[in-house]
Amino acid sequence: MQFNLSLSAADLILLMPEIFLTIWLCVILALDFSLKRITHQQLAHLSIAGLGITAIMLFVFDQNGTTGALFKDMYVLDHMAILFKIIILGATALVLFMSIDYVQEFRFFKGEYYFMVLMSAIGMMFMASSNDLLSVFVTLEFSTFGFYVLVAYLRDDQRSSEAGLKFFILGVFAAGLLAYGISLVYGETGTLVFSEMAGTQGSYGLAIGFILIFAALGFKIGAVPFHAWIPDTYQGAPTPVTAFLSLAPKAAALAILLRMFFVALASFKPMWVLLFVVASIFSMTYGNIVAIAQKNIKRLLAYSGIAQIGNIMIGLAAGTKQGSDAIMFYLLTYMFANLGAFAVVIAVSQVIKSDEIEDYNGLNRRSPFLAAAMLLFLLSLAGVPPLAGFIGKIYLFIAAMNQELYTLLIVGLINIVISMYYYLIVVKKMYINEPSDPSPIQASLPIKVAVYVGITGTLLLGIYPGPFIDWAVDATLMFSNIAAPTASLPILPGG
Amino acid sequence: MGEYSLLIILFAPFLGSIALIFIPRQEELMVRMTAAISAGISLLASFYIFFAYDPIKGGFQFVQRFAWSEELGIAFYVGVDGIGGPLVFASAILLFAGIFVSWHIKDRTKEFYIFLLILAAATIGVFMSLDLFFLYFFYEMSVLPMYLLLGVWGSHTKGYLSMTDPEGLKLRDSVDFIFNFGSNSKEYAAMKLTLFLSAGAVMALMGILLIYHMSGLHTFDILVLREQAKFTDTMSTLIWILIFFGFASIAPIWPLHSWSPVGHAAAPAATSMLHAGVLMKLGHFSIIRVGFEILPEATRDLMWIAAVLCIGSIIYGGLVSYFAKDTKYVIGYSSSSHMGYIFLGMAALSYISLSGAVIYMFAHALATSMLFAMAGWVYDQTHSRDIPSLGGLSEKMPFIAGAFIVACMASIGMPGTINFVAEIMIIVGSWDRYPLQVVVAVLGIVLTMAYMFKMMRGLFYGKLDPEFAHTSDAKSWIDRMPLILLIACSIILGLFPGHFYDVVRSTVEPMVDRINQVAPLVTQNTRGLLP
Repeated sequence: MQFNLSLSAADLILLMPEIFLTIWLCVILALDFSLKRITHQQLAHLSIAGLGITAIMLFVFDQNGTTGALFKDMYVLDHMAILFKIIILGATALVLFMSIDYVQEFRFFKGEYYFMVLMSAIGMMFMASSNDLLSVFVTLEFSTFGFYVLVAYLRDDQRSSEAGLKFFILGVFAAGLLAYGISLVYGETGTLVFSEMAGTQGSYGLAIGFILIFAALGFKIGAVPFHAWIPDTYQGAPTPVTAFLSLAPKAAALAILLRMFFVALASFKPMWVLLFVVASIFSMTYGNIVAIAQKNIKRLLAYSGIAQIGNIMIGLAAGTKQGSDAIMFYLLTYMFANLGAFAVVIAVSQVIKSDEIEDYNGLNRRSPFLAAAMLLFLLSLAGVPPLAGFIGKIYLFIAAMNQELYTLLIVGLINIVISMYYYLIVVKKMYINEPSDPSPIQASLPIKVAVYVGITGTLLLGIYPGPFIDWAVDATLMFSNIAAPTASLPILPGG
Repeated sequence: MGEYSLLIILFAPFLGSIALIFIPRQEELMVRMTAAISAGISLLASFYIFFAYDPIKGGFQFVQRFAWSEELGIAFYVGVDGIGGPLVFASAILLFAGIFVSWHIKDRTKEFYIFLLILAAATIGVFMSLDLFFLYFFYEMSVLPMYLLLGVWGSHTKGYLSMTDPEGLKLRDSVDFIFNFGSNSKEYAAMKLTLFLSAGAVMALMGILLIYHMSGLHTFDILVLREQAKFTDTMSTLIWILIFFGFASIAPIWPLHSWSPVGHAAAPAATSMLHAGVLMKLGHFSIIRVGFEILPEATRDLMWIAAVLCIGSIIYGGLVSYFAKDTKYVIGYSSSSHMGYIFLGMAALSYISLSGAVIYMFAHALATSMLFAMAGWVYDQTHSRDIPSLGGLSEKMPFIAGAFIVACMASIGMPGTINFVAEIMIIVGSWDRYPLQVVVAVLGIVLTMAYMFKMMRGLFYGKLDPEFAHTSDAKSWIDRMPLILLIACSIILGLFPGHFYDVVRSTVEPMVDRINQVAPLVTQNTRGLLP
């Protein structure tokens, strides 16, 4: 393959957000090294400002329709990529708000923390745009690299180091699978670009290759059976990093999954629908049932995250434009609710120095604001109206219903009831039980900002979702005519 | 103004609860007044729609429609007919009365009223939704506040052992634990209620999604679905079963009732009132709104299920009430027994029986909430709900005793109360189709009489235990007003049910015609015409 790198100014515009953010983060790193006076709070504010400017830039692109493809279709900036990037940027900004107080307690490398977070964010932005297998591999490893460091950031904490090591070993293993899968697919099709694969004929090599790639991406999003790293890593990692892990990489990996399966593999739809149905059923059921037994709030949210990914995969299993719309809307709702919940966890653990659910006893008496916020976020995750998660779930269910995926729907609906139980257990601790220590808990301003953003988003998306749904619908116009299944694999008769 | 009255009824409590968030928690009087004012506005507006509903015109009135999501075919579409209107009115009455009944709640008053207002507003929302999505939206929304209302402000049942009690710890390792231990706690009741209702709700949701997809219309608009939705026989049977059992779990029909008495027993007075009064009617109402309107053929073919199960409700509920010793259990089981009458009226599918069922929903709401309000008062005064340990309270609380007797009479269905009108209509209207069930229903009335008298005697007559010498009557107007309001509504409407009956009948007639005739007419006309 030969690359012809003739970039025009118009092409560079498409890369502007990433280029800008790269420069911005170099500036932040330089400032951290050179200015002795600069505090890490100021660095955090600068980082958030940079993210904000990038997001505005992307929003303007979205409105003006500045879209296109670069480097022989390796990199595309379409409306879907823009929406995913905005989600990633929003999540990063929220995470930084939550981090400010947390970073205070690090003994070393306060400034570098922000650098690492921003670098991962850039990696994930590239992931959202990657349109061939090579760029998938490069960007995936690029973004994960930052996380390897971030997860093990509390270097004096044994659990954080353990989490980092676990994440690293499994992550590298996943990378190996990904590389092997890519080589198989390239061997079978002779191309790496998704859109060129669309017409290929099925073969065993191709099937195995894509299953390996699916496994690697499944590792990223934490779908069963590739979820094993999630609970320990979530528990051990610094809480803001956990929050970051719980959303941004999943969003980025979902962008790749959507492009890969809805474009490259559109002709094999019946087969991968089965794959997603199975993965979704196992993720939802496993995540929800195991979450019941959790004693630690971070582990609970980890398992609930596995279940939520199961929900999101309902949209993938639907395999239609409506399914992809529902996924994007659900990601928005999930961002607000999940990051909001983590913000409350951070605020509480700052004071009581514990993440055990037992220690949330009587939170309502100690801090009515935090308890009410947590209540909203958990109920949104559970899918209770009028909160965002409810609309998201209904949207996914409608998408699945229109494809008549009854088994998946029934399992999904039963899982709503199961998940209600463990979310309500936390609610019970916060509202019904009496606190052992009734001293009030105060949240700091940056965390309050994150919580307020979460509450606003959760309520707004629940009560007035129209514009956001339209946004998601417009973003995926490219999927409006997913190719009808034409090819068949020798594995499954009939196809 | 009149056109917007439904929005006022719905949003006054919501806005009230939002306003409460910003009121400092120390200002308890202001918190209560805000709640009372928002409920009062709602009550006035619902009073207006109840009387301004035009029975000659019929159909859905006070209709408001706003686009919400074109993509998914959802609109915020509200309006009431002769069934929704009275139930909206009942909800508003109960909310208003409930706020005054819980006037003395000290612990976290602000949160209590916020959740109470959300609960009532969501219930009202179901009764006026003309869009399936919003019907489900409000339905599900009304379940969650119950969890907190029960869990935080509720009370344990007698025999409850705390986990930390030595005796409790001993019990934890025995088999008894599974059957007895947790089941007396309010947390258990709250969780059971929430999970039960959520399970019912998702079942109904499956039915709703099937309606959405299988009708091929991809809309949630009930009126459009009613006119145009066509399903195959198997599909309509399946959907109807899902809808019926999904919503009947909240109604609650025997054998899905077990969450309800436990929940009643644990709930604070105002919550029991709303719960027994209107929350349970969400089930019947939704079955009528979704099942009767959209699936008339399946309703005609399958409504016998309700007629069979209602025997269980009436007899089982009545017998348990008779032997129960806890006042709230008596009233709770009596409610679930009385729900059987509504199912009987619905199953018989005649003008009179269905009208009777609708009026009974309203009447039962008033009577049961009175009983719960007074059981709550007695509990607040004596800290006991155990009937054998109480007695002779009429000495100390003559007003409560008097009102209690009226409430019991209403619950039995004494002439002069609206319950009588409803009961007689159900019994007369159902005779043609289900004579056996009517006999059971009459027996049920006898049973009701037995346990109501037994409870009355146990609480208010006999010798007063000196332990309860300090108890006092409801003296201030704040305590008396809600009871007087409920009794007045029950008796005035019982003496002058004319307008009420016309309103209900105007909706019931076309509905029953449609259910009973649509299919036979079609088959008669097409038989022989087509090969």
